[in-house]
Amino acid sequence: MLLVPALAAGAAVLRGYRPRALVAALLWRYRWTSLTFILLIAVSVGIGVGLIAQERGLRKGTARAAEKFDLIVAAPGSEITMMFAAVYLQPSDVPLLSGAVYDEVAGHEQVDLAAPIAFGDSYRDSPVVGTTAGFVDHLAGKLADGRMFATSTEAVAGSAVKLALGTAITPAHGIGDSAEDDAHAGHTLEIVGRMPPTGSPWDRAILVPVESVWEVHGLVNGHAPGREAQIGPPFDPDYFPGTPAILVRAEALWANYALRSQFTRADTMAFFPGAVLAQLHSLMGDIRQVMSVMAVLTQVLVAAGVLTGLIILTRLFARRLALLRALGAPRRFVFAVVWCFAATLIVSGSLAGLAVGLVAVGVISSIVTAKTDILVTATLSWPEFHLIAAFVSLTVLLALLPAFMTMSRNIITDLRA
Amino acid sequence: MTLSLHVEDLSITAPGGRVLLTAGRFFAAPGETVGLRGPSGAGKSTFLYALAGLQPHMSGRLSWGETDLVRLNDGARAGFRRQHVGLVFQDFLLFEELSALGNATLATAFAPPAARRSIRETAAEVLSRLKVPSGRRTVDSFSGGERQRTAIARALAHRPSIILADEPTASLDRDTADLLITDLIGLARTEKKTLIAVSHDRHLLDCMDRVIDIADGRLKTEVSPA
Repeated sequence: MLLVPALAAGAAVLRGYRPRALVAALLWRYRWTSLTFILLIAVSVGIGVGLIAQERGLRKGTARAAEKFDLIVAAPGSEITMMFAAVYLQPSDVPLLSGAVYDEVAGHEQVDLAAPIAFGDSYRDSPVVGTTAGFVDHLAGKLADGRMFATSTEAVAGSAVKLALGTAITPAHGIGDSAEDDAHAGHTLEIVGRMPPTGSPWDRAILVPVESVWEVHGLVNGHAPGREAQIGPPFDPDYFPGTPAILVRAEALWANYALRSQFTRADTMAFFPGAVLAQLHSLMGDIRQVMSVMAVLTQVLVAAGVLTGLIILTRLFARRLALLRALGAPRRFVFAVVWCFAATLIVSGSLAGLAVGLVAVGVISSIVTAKTDILVTATLSWPEFHLIAAFVSLTVLLALLPAFMTMSRNIITDLRA
Repeated sequence: MTLSLHVEDLSITAPGGRVLLTAGRFFAAPGETVGLRGPSGAGKSTFLYALAGLQPHMSGRLSWGETDLVRLNDGARAGFRRQHVGLVFQDFLLFEELSALGNATLATAFAPPAARRSIRETAAEVLSRLKVPSGRRTVDSFSGGERQRTAIARALAHRPSIILADEPTASLDRDTADLLITDLIGLARTEKKTLIAVSHDRHLLDCMDRVIDIADGRLKTEVSPA
């Protein structure tokens, strides 16, 4: 639909004429200049569509990474901080929830899964997160390799963790530069299983039984004396050292809302990461619009530059155009030749821009994915094609201007130039 | 179709109003070959371009047959050229990236569909008669003589009755120029076309039926219809 103005202009301008060979000859004669114009358009179009596609890809990627996290219960504080910590595994110091709260959540009749998410330790650049087998199953489904952890010295690695099954590791206390490597000396974990890729930062994590996290910190391990060897729920509230967050999955969708309101109180905070993310995205919506406008503006500016260049370029053609007029070509034919020349540059540049956009999107996606572990699979989609179509239509119509300007030139002056 | 040329009280002015050339009376019969001679800046090319209907500011009368170019607007003059005038320039003015045939059939790009075939056939015939290299070779590799022959084929492709040439031999060496003169005059005579050529070249002017002198913006030898 957006291409209709361009196609209509093309049909009207070229009606009855066959300027193709001439335009091809002109393009070839000024091939380096033409190529420069095409590249300029391609880069501006490519960056424009790349940015827009990337932004959407990032939004989808972050949403996908959060989709397994139906409801998070944590100690009151910032939902965003907690979402970053529990969903995207960004290091953060947060208060703990007590065993009583966990017990209340886990024992709630509408709760299907209540998994502690105990983060804070790491191994190299992998966060070591204490949780339950139920959570691993919920997050990644069937393991890609090996088996589920069965003791507090076993671990399941995320798909992107470069550790072979059977490798023994000692977790460090903390994450990143501030991690204390020997704080947990003496405690080793063996990698016994590997999750399939989830497209989230959890691919880089090492998941261990929450008991393991408590034990390496010298705490009781969630189970009453005599039952210390048990792994996984139920936990004994009296021997529950605390967890920064609990992932909750309700039996039914509606129940999530009931649970959220029930656990939104003085000592707990409950939120839907998806909803927090949506809020963030809607806040960023304005930025997105600004970005789109800027992308279009950049393209229009480049197009304006190219058209100005074209006006100058048509002076180089002037003698040949004057020759055509001298041979009896109607003004409209000369107009058609110049317009067709410009339209060829614009359309070729835009198509090349599509290719540039595809490559840019691929490269930026892989960089973002590598930096954040959030799988960003940005692809060019209808909004980008619409943008390109609108750009082509607008600039092709603007190209009527330099074409128009060549019509009023003095033939004899140009012939003698 | 043959057209006689009648010029009466023609005045050509620059856009600013300055008079570039005046011509009291001038006549050329159909099929006649006329040379225009004079010092540089005298107004020879100005007159030639006027004969082609390219001068935007003219007054008086400049008629080819019944058509007075002075009274025609720009579009109608272009239409007249398209139908009746073939132009040859000093420096050929070819599209270097096209072949000889591509250049000679340039008019097919804007001619009505019905005329395209005839243009192609005539162009090919003239190119072959003038022994211009055929094939896909582009004219940028041609010699000066071959280029000017290509330009002549372009001027004749639409079977015009008038050929206007502006210093057609000035960019050629003597031998090439002489061959070209033979071809150009030969074609004009056998095809009964009116040839009007601006030139300093004695060899060309000597082959013309008549030579008109132009000096200081005036036609000096003015001839009345016989």
